[in-house]
Amino acid sequence: MTATARRIAVLAALGRNPVSGKARPNRDDLLALELARQLGGDLTLIHAGNPDEAALGDYFAYGASSLDLVPLADGGDVASALVTRLAGYDLILAGSRAEGGEGSGLVPYLVAETLGLPIVADVIAITLGDEATEVTQALAKGQRRRVRVTLPAVIAVYPKALVTPRYAYARRLAGRVTTYVAPAMEPVASPWHREAAKKRPVKFRAAETKSGHARMLSAIVAEARGGAVIAAGTPADKAQAILAYLRLHKLIDW
Amino acid sequence: MSEALKRINPRRPFQVTAEGLKRIVLGVAGEAGASVHVAHRDATPKPLRLRGEPTGQHLVIAHADRGALTAHAHEAIAAAALLADAATAVTVLVFGDLSEKLAPFGADRVIVAAVGDGAHFDPDRELAVAAEQVARLAPRHIVMPDSAIGDGDLGRRLAARLGVSVATHVVELAPTGVAASWRGGAEMARRDLPRMLLLDPGTTDLALPFSGAGERVEIEVPPFPDSRYRDLGSPPVDSAQLGLEDADFIVSAGNGVADVPTLLALAKTFDAAIGASRVAVDDGRFARHQQVGATGKTVSASVYMAIGISGAVQHLQGIRAVRHVIAINTDASAPIAQRADLTIVDDAQAVMEQLLEATRGRNFAPGVTP
Ligand SMILES: Cc1cc2nc3c(=O)[nH]c(=O)nc-3n(C[C@H](O)[C@H](O)[C@H](O)COP(=O)(O)OP(=O)(O)OC[C@H]3O[C@@H](n4cnc5c(N)ncnc54)[C@H](O)[C@@H]3O)c2cc1C
Repeated sequence: MTATARRIAVLAALGRNPVSGKARPNRDDLLALELARQLGGDLTLIHAGNPDEAALGDYFAYGASSLDLVPLADGGDVASALVTRLAGYDLILAGSRAEGGEGSGLVPYLVAETLGLPIVADVIAITLGDEATEVTQALAKGQRRRVRVTLPAVIAVYPKALVTPRYAYARRLAGRVTTYVAPAMEPVASPWHREAAKKRPVKFRAAETKSGHARMLSAIVAEARGGAVIAAGTPADKAQAILAYLRLHKLIDW
Repeated sequence: MSEALKRINPRRPFQVTAEGLKRIVLGVAGEAGASVHVAHRDATPKPLRLRGEPTGQHLVIAHADRGALTAHAHEAIAAAALLADAATAVTVLVFGDLSEKLAPFGADRVIVAAVGDGAHFDPDRELAVAAEQVARLAPRHIVMPDSAIGDGDLGRRLAARLGVSVATHVVELAPTGVAASWRGGAEMARRDLPRMLLLDPGTTDLALPFSGAGERVEIEVPPFPDSRYRDLGSPPVDSAQLGLEDADFIVSAGNGVADVPTLLALAKTFDAAIGASRVAVDDGRFARHQQVGATGKTVSASVYMAIGISGAVQHLQGIRAVRHVIAINTDASAPIAQRADLTIVDDAQAVMEQLLEATRGRNFAPGVTP
């Protein structure tokens, strides 16, 4: 690939096993790590959180060799803590969503905005060039899109990217953690209140002010939502009607 | 014995009233089984939600695909309209060409940013336009569909740029607050209404008792000179290799299709994936993985051509998310006609042959020039 070794950072969060609740590497971030490993270059993992978490070592088993750790209390501002260690990288890779806490998928965007870097999400493949990188994005319905983006850049990896992280215990023992000082940050209370998910979410709908009869009518009308019916004409006319419909709604290119 | 029984023709002529009810009018002669007259439903317009001059607004931002927004984006508009009080307008900023009306979903003003193809990746330019509109309109809330790509991507860019309070993957909302599912659905987290909301699909009921004003303005979008991104295009994908769930165009056969090779030729012409009803699968004409419906696959194509399919509820369950359903059926009163956007009442074989005839030599697969 490229002659000069690229400096690549992978943002790593901790997830939780959905059954046991035990901490483990975040699945999406493991995909980012594996994609970064395949690119070669000089790779560093960066984590903001509790420095005593043993599960961080598992990232070494999956192929990281060094980890920069920024201590951060639970509920702290992850993006601000991460950017303190992100200067000078050519490529910053992240998973799409953290499975541990909020999982908003916002962190890579906040990091990119703070550092003034471009960001491409839902990436499944990366080819590094000298000043730019070409990435392939996964779109809806099996479509792909290739995008050229200038370096340095932030890349968020598609959750179903076709890479398989592999665990090796020997690597787990060889990893090295560097702990940095925590950035001075005002603690802010999270606006979120968490509760166990029990009920199904309630749909947001207009307050019902109609009479019972009107409600019944609207329920029936909602079901009978048929469109145009064409019964007259020859089969050839009807075939043209179908093509006209498809053309009208830009569903075929003609 | 038998002459004593009074026989009633179950397919007597009927009318469909404006309320969508079937009415059998005694004494009216007509062809058995045919509906005499289909009146237009919903003749009375809904009242406007907005009373007088608005004092503020909510902003919805979405991308159009082939002239229309997704149902997911419609929900975001409806949610904004339901959040708004009588003095708050709902403004919708649409990227890409738009040919559908958004007033039924509650849009009072529609700003169409003509960026050409809404699917083209040009985030620097869209972000500049969106940030400018937010600065100009000072919306109370910004509501967007949290779609996998496109709106979800632009929404996160905008949230990061504006530095506002934001809730993503919102699964439940009300004027008092929002809820999002955390830790993969194990926890529900609630908070008050943030400035910006990215909604998961299925949060909002589209049936509204009111309508928006639906004024439309078009704005010019200057090109963004030093964009850091360049869209290199999408390589064509072979639709035959896509799963039914991923297909954008599906030609589907039911019990009314006797000639399978013609159907396969039709699917090839439209570059479509092939689906089938359970009956067509059970009798061996199609493979099990092609079955659409409750016990088969759930599809979300843009076009679903249902040929010789009656439209049993179990089948309709599989095509709930389809945008355009086109039915070909000899029976105009088959349930599929209630779901289809276009119903052709005729013999499937004849119409399929005419379709092949009319498109002879053409192939709608992307990358194939006719
Ligand atoms: C538990 C359960 C689960 C099920 N799950 C599924 C499922 O996942 N998917 C599914 O599809 N079904 C499912 N079914 C079966 C479903 O109820 C229907 O029986 C089935 O969908 C009917 O298939 P059809 O429309 O092809 O056949 P039919 O009901 O026989 O309909 C054939 C249609 O073709 C029309 N027709 C006939 N000849 C012609 C012609 N020459 N030209 C044009 N039109 C013609 C007829 O007017 C009729 O409307 C399920 C049923 C049960 C009980």
